[in-house]
Amino acid sequence: MGNKITTFSEDQLDAYQDCTFFTRKEILRIFRRFQMLYPEHVPLDMKRGQTSSVKIPLHELEKMPELKENPFRHRLCQVFSEDGSGDMSFDDFLDMFSVLSEAAPRDIKTVYAFKMYDFDCDHFINRSDLEKTLVCLTKEELSQDEKSFVVDKVLEETDLDDDGMLSYIEFEQVISRSPDFLNTFHIRI
Amino acid sequence: MDYRGNPNGYPDPRGPPEQVQMHSVNPGYTEPTHADNGRPPYVIDMHSGIQDLEDRNGGEEDVRYLHARGSRRNWAADNQRDATDLINELPSRQLEQIASDVAKGTIRRKKSKKSFHGTVRGHHDYNDLAASLSRDPDLMDEFDGETRTTEVLRDMAVKLTDKKEIRNNISNSRQRTLKRGIQSRRPGWWKRTKYSIGIGWMHFKYRLAELAYSLELWRSLTKKIEGHFGTGVTSYFMFLKWIFLLNIPIFFLTLCFIVIPQIVYVEFQPSAEAVAAVVAANNMTNVTTTAPVVTTTAAFTGRELLTGSGYFTNTILYYGYYTNGIVQVVGDTEYNMKYAYLLTGGGYYILCLIILALSISRSYKKNYIEASGVFNFYIVTKVFCSWDYNITSPDAARLQHKSFFNEIKEFLSGKKLDGANRDFSTKCKWFFLRVITNLIVLGSIGGSAYCIYYIQDTDYIKNSIVILGKLAMPLVATGIILVLPFFFTRIGKLENYQKPQTELYVGMTRTMLLKAAILGVLAYFWFNRATKEDEPCWETSLGEDIYRLVLVDFVFTLISTFFLEFIRRLLGQYCCKRLGDTEFDIGRNTLDLIYSQALCWLGTFYSPLLSFIMSIKLFIIFYIKAVSVLQNCKPSVRAWRAAKSHTIFLGYLFIFFLLAVVAVSYGVLLVPPSETCGPFQGQEQAYDIVTTLVDSWEGDLDWLHQIFKLVSSPGFIASVLVAFSVGTYYMRIVMVGHKEMVKLLRQQLAMEGRDKAYLLNMLQEVSRSKKEKLRPSTENRILSPTSATSMESLTSPGGRRFARTMAETAAANTPQQSPVPSRRNRRMDSNENLTSRF
Repeated sequence: MGNKITTFSEDQLDAYQDCTFFTRKEILRIFRRFQMLYPEHVPLDMKRGQTSSVKIPLHELEKMPELKENPFRHRLCQVFSEDGSGDMSFDDFLDMFSVLSEAAPRDIKTVYAFKMYDFDCDHFINRSDLEKTLVCLTKEELSQDEKSFVVDKVLEETDLDDDGMLSYIEFEQVISRSPDFLNTFHIRI
Repeated sequence: MDYRGNPNGYPDPRGPPEQVQMHSVNPGYTEPTHADNGRPPYVIDMHSGIQDLEDRNGGEEDVRYLHARGSRRNWAADNQRDATDLINELPSRQLEQIASDVAKGTIRRKKSKKSFHGTVRGHHDYNDLAASLSRDPDLMDEFDGETRTTEVLRDMAVKLTDKKEIRNNISNSRQRTLKRGIQSRRPGWWKRTKYSIGIGWMHFKYRLAELAYSLELWRSLTKKIEGHFGTGVTSYFMFLKWIFLLNIPIFFLTLCFIVIPQIVYVEFQPSAEAVAAVVAANNMTNVTTTAPVVTTTAAFTGRELLTGSGYFTNTILYYGYYTNGIVQVVGDTEYNMKYAYLLTGGGYYILCLIILALSISRSYKKNYIEASGVFNFYIVTKVFCSWDYNITSPDAARLQHKSFFNEIKEFLSGKKLDGANRDFSTKCKWFFLRVITNLIVLGSIGGSAYCIYYIQDTDYIKNSIVILGKLAMPLVATGIILVLPFFFTRIGKLENYQKPQTELYVGMTRTMLLKAAILGVLAYFWFNRATKEDEPCWETSLGEDIYRLVLVDFVFTLISTFFLEFIRRLLGQYCCKRLGDTEFDIGRNTLDLIYSQALCWLGTFYSPLLSFIMSIKLFIIFYIKAVSVLQNCKPSVRAWRAAKSHTIFLGYLFIFFLLAVVAVSYGVLLVPPSETCGPFQGQEQAYDIVTTLVDSWEGDLDWLHQIFKLVSSPGFIASVLVAFSVGTYYMRIVMVGHKEMVKLLRQQLAMEGRDKAYLLNMLQEVSRSKKEKLRPSTENRILSPTSATSMESLTSPGGRRFARTMAETAAANTPQQSPVPSRRNRRMDSNENLTSRF
């Protein structure tokens, strides 16, 4: 475990352990994955603030096998990156997998899922967000009419206050009740 | 600050609540008498209304800011404002803010756990957050503050960098508090001990988690399968792993308490009795098999692995080998084998019961109770939850896109559920068809059960070919179990069920019924044989039978994997293309697992090492299935609902467990054990040893005897049962009440939504007319009573109550739990008002 000593200090590991759902070993393992994604630029010594300053660009992150096939990968990286650009530091990266881990509770997953589906970041999932989600899921196989029909249906089922969009509370109402959500919003790393 | 302290909501500044409620209920409702009486026009005090609303959420640090916002929000001052702005000013628009603030400001505590909902809207300065956290005495606690902070931090939806910062801030301020506190008082002994135990426990938990992580079985394989096939197929493998892990403690239990003492007894205590037993054992082996020499491995011919008899008959594998003697451990300490055998048997069934019950209730809670009402959200869950984030292979991703697209298409084409439109004659036709198919199914189940009984009863003894005779029953039974389910599937297709899910579950239930029938017949046969025939040791031959069943089941699993997956793939690829891709049948495979585990439970009492054999079997099956799936199968186009089916599988497993327990306890309580072998030889019933033991306490351990007598008395058992039923009934009543409450709240929510739309229209009109008139504004705007009424209702308790309800819903974990009974009536009243008005 020479790696443990060189990459992070004990304090750093403690902090990570306190702030995420991972154990030390898992954190180190995730760091190795992170480092392998962009080996030339990520130093092996992360003791002096490199955890938040050294970033891997979005296009490199998307090559990761866990994300490669995910239609929401772009959005996922944006939501978890500090500045919303999609470039991620190790802190962001670890945070993402912590939220997506099996141990993370439903509440926190729901918050991030909401952020993710809220493409235009206006704190509501409106019609255009829903349409974008549908496009991601079907790869533009639905016609405009079909899309708007599905969106209508979604709003009909969920939009309790009839304002034409989903607020967080409405979203949470549905998602927290879906048994599939915990199973699917989860990445094993 | 804590609004929850005031159950009646806000102190209403303008009179009795009933009066205002009417406004809130129907904004169009005006009270003509008031208008006629020349009631003074309302002074709109939106400012204080909103501030009132915010004040209870925000901390004092926000007050200045709120003032600014409040005056900005004095919307009446700005006639240019249009409807969209108005919408944004509505209290309910601020709900998300309020909800997250509430959750943040007043730390939600449920079961002593805290949770922070992070920011959904807007960015919060983490310094503020840390400062507000520092004010919480619990987190500042000198001892367990650290653990609590960890819990809070983990559940916060804040960026990790900020979390670390918050953690630093908190621990710094904790240090400061500690320094201040350390001069004033020194912690007591109790606190220090508690602290060190707490820290030790935390480190132990971390260690344990790390150990579990490094020991986790088959992680990479599971991940690979998940990446290729999604959660559905993985759920089979997780189930397999779960059963495998379930068998491990059972194995260790039997190993430690039965097997090792027995070995010790035989090896290290060559007393006259033991020698005699060994000699007798040797003789018996000579008699039953033709193998020349006994206990050495040389006598082992290999065919015993298949039949489980012969060489194995008198080994630790079976009941008959175990002694009823007493093992002298050290000095005078005695270890009574017969008690050990019975207690261990009871122990592992109770252990299994606890594990099963816990996981079933957890799964049920997660997938059914918390997820109740999900049927209303068909398409929403499709859109938001259908993508499987685990998928890594392009093939599977393509299929997922396709499957989602198909489901949406299906939905769009109107779901073609023509159940309501069917006329009477077709209904009759289907009804008779189903009656006939069900009769056929029942008939085939009955026929196969009789077939098993016939083979057991006649061929078993008089068969001349040794191996095949012994294997006849297991071969036929397993064969039936393998073939008939396919037949059931075909029949299910004929029955024309509206939902494929119904068809699937009906098929599964039939398969399980078949398996249960076969096992039931076998159990009947075994216990019947025990009473009437003079078999030397019926328990051992029962154990042997089960051993053979387990083994043949294993072999058939391998064969069916080979043919149904490997050969089928080859055929589909090269010979006839119309067979299509091979898919992994999750349902069938899982049911097979449940069946083999049921066999294990049935036999463990008579063959203690069966759980070990089972573990090996499952271990091998895991690898074979994993390789076969990865090599031969293609991901399914139809999505498999992993979450709900898991609960159903657990339910089946539980039913089979109960059946096995009933069978075994029947054997223990009512069937006389064989006279010459096993730990219970010479007893009328195996259970008699307990009664004799209890009776032996009568003298010196009288209190224990009394307790036992009391506990086993019919009155006590009856009262316990009654207490349980009353408890269940109570729970049910509460559940029904909650359900109704949820329904009412939903209705109310929908009504409030409509109210809002109505109000907004009105507001728009008002502002438009005002714009036209361009009336100069004074300090306190005075409006006409009509519009004032409608505006008041915005800030009226109705609107606020709505806001508060929502905030509470967000603050409490589940909405069912949030309504307090005392409030319930009030809400129902207002709801009645609502419904009567609309």
